[in-house]
Amino acid sequence: MTAISKIKSTFFNWHREIPATTLAVYRIFFGALMLFSTARFILNGWVHDFYIAPKFHFTYLGFEWIPYPNPTILYFIFAMMLLSSIGIMLGFFYRFSAFAFFILFTYVELLDKTTYLNHYYFVSLVAFLMIFLPANRYFSLDEYFGFVPQQKTVPNWTISILKFQIAVVYIFAGLAKLESDWLIHAQPLKYWLHTAHHFPLFGDLLKQDWVAYFFSWFGCIYDLFIVFFLLNVRTRIYAYFIVIIFHVTTWILFPIGVFPWVMIFATTIFLPEKFHSSILNFLGKIFNRESKSTLRSTYFVGPDYKKIVHFSLGLFIAIQILFPFRYLLYPGNIFWTEQGFRFSWRVMLMEKTGYAEFYISDPESKAQWPVNNSDHLTRLQEKMMSTQPDMILQYADYLENQYRDTTLYLGENVFTFHEPEVHAEIYVTLNSRPSQLYVSKEYNLAAIENNLSDRYWLEEFKE
Amino acid sequence: MKKIIFTLLSIAIIFSSCKKDDEPEFDRQALLDNMATNVIMPYYQTLNSSLILLHTEATEFVANPNSSTLTDLRVQYLATNTAYQHCSMYNFGPAMDYGIKAALNTFPTDSSKIETNISAGTYTVGSLSNTTAIGFPALDYLLYFGTDAEIITKFTSDSKAANRKNYLTDLTSKMKAEFQPVLDQWNGTYKTTFIAADGNDVGSSCSYLLNEFIQDLELLKNARIGIPSGQQTGGATLPQYVEGYFSNKSMSFAKDQLDGLKIAFTGGTGIGFDDYIMDVEGEEVTTSLATNINQQIEICFSKMALITNPLSTEVNTNFAAVNTLYLEIKKLLVYCKTDMTSMLGILITYQDNDGD
Repeated sequence: MTAISKIKSTFFNWHREIPATTLAVYRIFFGALMLFSTARFILNGWVHDFYIAPKFHFTYLGFEWIPYPNPTILYFIFAMMLLSSIGIMLGFFYRFSAFAFFILFTYVELLDKTTYLNHYYFVSLVAFLMIFLPANRYFSLDEYFGFVPQQKTVPNWTISILKFQIAVVYIFAGLAKLESDWLIHAQPLKYWLHTAHHFPLFGDLLKQDWVAYFFSWFGCIYDLFIVFFLLNVRTRIYAYFIVIIFHVTTWILFPIGVFPWVMIFATTIFLPEKFHSSILNFLGKIFNRESKSTLRSTYFVGPDYKKIVHFSLGLFIAIQILFPFRYLLYPGNIFWTEQGFRFSWRVMLMEKTGYAEFYISDPESKAQWPVNNSDHLTRLQEKMMSTQPDMILQYADYLENQYRDTTLYLGENVFTFHEPEVHAEIYVTLNSRPSQLYVSKEYNLAAIENNLSDRYWLEEFKE
Repeated sequence: MKKIIFTLLSIAIIFSSCKKDDEPEFDRQALLDNMATNVIMPYYQTLNSSLILLHTEATEFVANPNSSTLTDLRVQYLATNTAYQHCSMYNFGPAMDYGIKAALNTFPTDSSKIETNISAGTYTVGSLSNTTAIGFPALDYLLYFGTDAEIITKFTSDSKAANRKNYLTDLTSKMKAEFQPVLDQWNGTYKTTFIAADGNDVGSSCSYLLNEFIQDLELLKNARIGIPSGQQTGGATLPQYVEGYFSNKSMSFAKDQLDGLKIAFTGGTGIGFDDYIMDVEGEEVTTSLATNINQQIEICFSKMALITNPLSTEVNTNFAAVNTLYLEIKKLLVYCKTDMTSMLGILITYQDNDGD
């Protein structure tokens, strides 16, 4: 079978019945990983640091209306996230658990874009898909208690759409690496690896330039093609081996969190069915439970079932493919303007550090006042804001409101602000280039609306 | 598969072992060792002995207040201040625990609070509300607030002379007593702790050094130069906000502080951040960031030389020069806050990161 027909059979024979084991194992892995990752988040004190400590929150465009929870509710939400990930893992009130997890997780993500990570977006998408997948029809408490009938098979689309989601992550991450900083200058990897010299044995090795080039090129090729090797029956086991090596390496070298583990577990979906059934056999022995029935599928819900599946999957796939390309609608360098940067699988591509000074001024009273960013933002927020244009505008807007109709005193000097203007002088260094002016004092940033239009107010990027 | 990995590893190890022997090995532990052994601890030692001498001179002055003992005390005050400026940026570990930076050098000082304390005769020098009435800035006021005769009178025939004497020695005694345990801890276990934390994560010694280096540079730019010269307040100069307002030594103190920062950056004669930068850059870089930063530090020194003590009058009479100095320090700060921070990959917060 050619590769093309292989892909065709994997992705497009949507209604072929396949064993339900794969989906069941995927459910268990996903639930367990979310349980671990949520617990880790809580134990690291991040609920407080990221969501309670900040006085001001960088909301997402279009989601400013989302109510901000008080600390008690926030911890309650995280407790519910723990419970719902257990529900997913055990397949207990599965649909409700998946729905609850998706809503709660996404809600928390939408509270502040300071902590945006691509893998959180990935988790949100997978959790969303899980709501619609019959992942509780096999090896779950739901079918054990008889809430749902047991099914030994599920339609192929339930697996294909998950494979597609993984393919999207890798291939777009690979396409994003096809640019000169990554391929020609091996940046930002080169400098990142240079500072990793405290690793025993390999420390010196990581400082070598060729290692940076090797990692860059290998990473790019890996991202672009790994899915195809995972799809191919003959190569998939080797490909999975590479997946493990690749992600464990990134986990050792970079402060990348749970992302490597998310990908290592997510890609098990490409493994042969006997891998999944042996895992279930193993778990079955622990819990002294054997799968007994051989019931046929009964999820045929109505005459429009296929139409609905085709339409929904088609829509989801189309959005997933088109959305990351929205950066093409904007002029300029995407690393500089960051138009269309988020939600497009651009991972590990950029080392951007900024220094932002904000000034409040009043055109009438001629008063001028420098802002101490740490009075308003956490260190993480300040770091993120200093290089991200939409956050700069949001912050300027916040400062305008903070200083409107205020009077400040310094010694005998009085500074009065009625309708303050907010100006900033920001310098940014991008992927080891010398720092350059990012935002000049010329613009009243409070008067610029934060929307999807061009960011004309940024200084021109100098290569 | 195993064969492939084995081959790759072998090639890697061969490549790494045939590195040129003559290039100096850089590692963060060597940097920390040098900073601790040859920079921080010797400067701490100097400051500590200097603070002890300062208290001795203060005791001698109050025992016999005359122009000769006043001169001696002033000389020692200036020497101790210079010693402090070289330690100012190491505001982490024991120095952080004991709140040394706030206790020794919160300026501008509040002279009316000092006078209130002296009149009352009862006060707690360590209380939070007295932060602006203690340390070097308070000494600056007590030793320089008027003519020599006026000062000596305040310590001799004035009705509150006894209180003033007590206040002076209470301050020097507190400064001495507070710094001693900081030095003791470095001489004890902290040095080992400091050198062992050789990562680039939050809480590593490199992250402390870099963060405090930048914070101290911001202090120079904003508090020492920016606020008095009205850079921060739309042109309204605030001469009384300079450091060392009464002794008129503001520019000398600023030079000492920048000198301290320069030594922290270069690691003195040993391994410092400049070597770290060059190590990360590799060989093909034409102009090293380390060179740029060193040059910028020298530019700042040269601009400082164009401003004479006291800064409090220069902000009005020589504004162009002060303004130039401010802008040059800002350039230095941009180098350090963006280029250097980015290059050294030192994390400022503990959070997952996927590089976006």
